[in-house]
Amino acid sequence: MSGRLGLLMDIALKHLARRRRQTLVAISGVAVGVGFFLAVSAMMIGSQRDFIDQLIDAAPHIVISDELRSRPPQPGVRAFPGAAVALHGYKIRTEVRGLKDWPAILAAANMLPGAIGSPSLTGGVTLRLGGHEEALGIVGVEPELETRISTIEEKLRAGRLHDLETAQGGIIVGEELARRLGVGMGDIVAATSAPGTTRSLRIVGLFKRGQSQLAASSGYVLLREAQSLLGRPFIINRIGIHLSDPYQAEPVARQLEARFGYKAESWQERSADFLSLLVTRNVIMYSVVSAILLVASFGIYTVVSNSVSDKRRDIAILRSIGFSEFDLQLVFVAEGIILALAGVLLGWLLGYGLMAILGSLEFPIAGEDERLPLDRSPRQYAIAAAASLLAGTIAAWLPARKAARVDPVDILRGAA
Amino acid sequence: MSHLLEARNLRRILPGDPPVTLVAEASLAIRPGSFTTIVGPSGCGKSSLLYLLGLIDRPTGGTLLLEGNDVSALDGDARARLRLERFGFVFQFHFLLPEFSALENVMLPIRRLGRLDHSMAEARALDLLKAAGLEGEAGKTPDRLSGGERQRVAIARALANDPTLILADEPTGNLDSQNSARVIAAFRTIASDQGRAVICVTHDLTIAAAADVRISMLDGRIVAIESSPGSTGPS
Repeated sequence: MSGRLGLLMDIALKHLARRRRQTLVAISGVAVGVGFFLAVSAMMIGSQRDFIDQLIDAAPHIVISDELRSRPPQPGVRAFPGAAVALHGYKIRTEVRGLKDWPAILAAANMLPGAIGSPSLTGGVTLRLGGHEEALGIVGVEPELETRISTIEEKLRAGRLHDLETAQGGIIVGEELARRLGVGMGDIVAATSAPGTTRSLRIVGLFKRGQSQLAASSGYVLLREAQSLLGRPFIINRIGIHLSDPYQAEPVARQLEARFGYKAESWQERSADFLSLLVTRNVIMYSVVSAILLVASFGIYTVVSNSVSDKRRDIAILRSIGFSEFDLQLVFVAEGIILALAGVLLGWLLGYGLMAILGSLEFPIAGEDERLPLDRSPRQYAIAAAASLLAGTIAAWLPARKAARVDPVDILRGAA
Repeated sequence: MSHLLEARNLRRILPGDPPVTLVAEASLAIRPGSFTTIVGPSGCGKSSLLYLLGLIDRPTGGTLLLEGNDVSALDGDARARLRLERFGFVFQFHFLLPEFSALENVMLPIRRLGRLDHSMAEARALDLLKAAGLEGEAGKTPDRLSGGERQRVAIARALANDPTLILADEPTGNLDSQNSARVIAAFRTIASDQGRAVICVTHDLTIAAAADVRISMLDGRIVAIESSPGSTGPS
């Protein structure tokens, strides 16, 4: 079998060598298609992965808050299910906000495999300094736990999250806010909460600029400091959960929400709009690059089709010698595969080179030189090769069927 | 004596309005070691009969027996296999593959049959070229060979798989008298010394005279079958 295939391959190679210019054009077409597929997909997938990583890392993978998806039924409805058709004008009891029995929720979260939970309390305060006021959302955290569930530490320009524990009344704010207030590290600002409590807070850390996920108007304080400032001792209204596999966030969130009733929001739910945009972007990208590869395969079709037309006499000779129809079909399909294979190998080199160039470019973003995030995984090389080989095989197979149908008698009689 | 190839009322009619009869009711028998020529005016169906006998074309009627087995209804692959193993073809135009050297052209059927490894196939092809007086031309492509040399390469290729039957269609049609004589001598040797049957379509009276059997055709029909005295011609 290998001898036969080797012979058919020899014939195919000789045909291609004879049509050198067309062969080079077809190979170049595939190479350019593959090269640009690799470069474009490396950028698209790289940026997508970087974006998703940012989405995942921006906040805990699951956030349980003291909100409910829908209001709980009224006591009358609970007592007589189905009896009350509709209730109007009733007075809703004011309930104290916060996660009830949160230590149990936290313990349940920590029991999940690979999960770590961190309690926090959020609320609003006003920072005052020299007559200037800035509204600020504060997040009270346990630094030890928070550093394990988030990447806040990496986003600090100055200070550390643990400094909240060592400095009395410490607060970490964004660089922009600090600039607006005219304060820096170690400076003290006055913070007043809605209940009217006022505290002096010392700046112990600054977030880097451009960290939109941390917002320009939010700050971190110690959990007990937040509870004291907001007048809500022992209360938390948020549990952030970090999972070892972030992609399990959705089912785990559903499970926790079903168990405790509080809204448990996964990072996928939080970023649903962005993720659906990414799907659209991927569909567009793969459509465009598929079109490039398809156009490249037209070159292969042309070469093989011309080869079949030019080699009708040779086909008749080979048939008379004893080559089967399938043999002849294989010869011309092999021509297509050889062209596609050579194009893929050159395209890989071209793509590698393009990625090297793109990867070396630096762009100033938010005051820092950033490089393009590129996905250089072998998967993209394999997809490009598989798509090109498939397109090349189909492009060659169409004219190859014509070769198999050549009637040697017509050719031999015509030549005689 | 048993027949190598036997045709019984073989017909080939091209469909159309009206249908065209290429070969009508052809019956003949070929014995091993015989040299048979098919003669007749142009368009009388000589080549068509040869293509039917060589399994290149399919008959529309009648029976073709190869060593007693009916081969007229075989499928394409089986016919290709028989052509590869049992038949050798030589045409008026040399019909060598232009990209391949003389040696590679002779090796084509051997490699396709796959019974010999590459080095043995090469040795076999070189032997055949040597027998044809072309050992010095083995590496040359057809465009660097003379007409006579090309035809001798084609004969060497026809013999590559040790066939029992050689079919030739006007093999000297494009050759000068000297080269024609060499080709005729080669066919005689193939038939008488090697015991293969040779069937040759020709206008060349020299070839016809050298044959054991002469089949004359007219308008698609066999009109006469003559045997030379002492030949092993058809029954």
